[in-house]
Amino acid sequence: MAEERFYELIFICQPDTPEPEIDKVIATLQQSIEEQQGRLEKLEKWGARKLAYRIGKNREGFYVFLAFRSRQSDLIKELERRLKVSEPVLKYLTVRIDEELKRQSKLAARRERRLARRPRKPAGESATAAG
Amino acid sequence: MAADTPPPSAAPHSRGPAPRGDRPRKPRRQYVRKRKVCQFCVDKVDYIDYKNADLLRSFILDRGKIIPRRITGTCSRHQRWLKTAIARARNIALLPFAAGS
Repeated sequence: MAEERFYELIFICQPDTPEPEIDKVIATLQQSIEEQQGRLEKLEKWGARKLAYRIGKNREGFYVFLAFRSRQSDLIKELERRLKVSEPVLKYLTVRIDEELKRQSKLAARRERRLARRPRKPAGESATAAG
Repeated sequence: MAADTPPPSAAPHSRGPAPRGDRPRKPRRQYVRKRKVCQFCVDKVDYIDYKNADLLRSFILDRGKIIPRRITGTCSRHQRWLKTAIARARNIALLPFAAGS
């Protein structure tokens, strides 16, 4: 089985969509995530925000943000298909960020290690490595 | 932007030119070129979040273009991450692609 991947998904709805309508879209996404054994980690409604550029005729959009883990890459296809066919959705973006998070923690760990040995003189460090 | 001295390279690892404090100072034309430091390195940033539009906005012009790192002083690695983050933010309409209005 493929390793678990971490995704973030943002989609934008028409600003004049009634809230239950948006909840319905979210519910269908949640359902497909569950069906494919994904784990939803975060669900945030950012609400209506100004768009940086017009999408269609809209200057505003209702943002919804999801973060989830999954082993099935087909899940992304499924989610994006659902977003594409749902009426109020203007735009969506899925980003896989596990590798960036991995890199982040790696760098953080390295910095910590370096900080831990900082009290010593930076030079001549290799001589003490044998212990 | 012609300067009499070549601009110091923006590489983060070279610690800059040796201090020239004991040079005789001419009042005119003598200005200290303030060394630009990568803001992300200073803050020890390991991941530039594309959702943080306010931060990203400070690295694009009003027109929407990414500010080159020779201006901002960002190191190459962070500029690369920044570029990705801005691209993503643009895709989801958090940042503009170009001068819209």
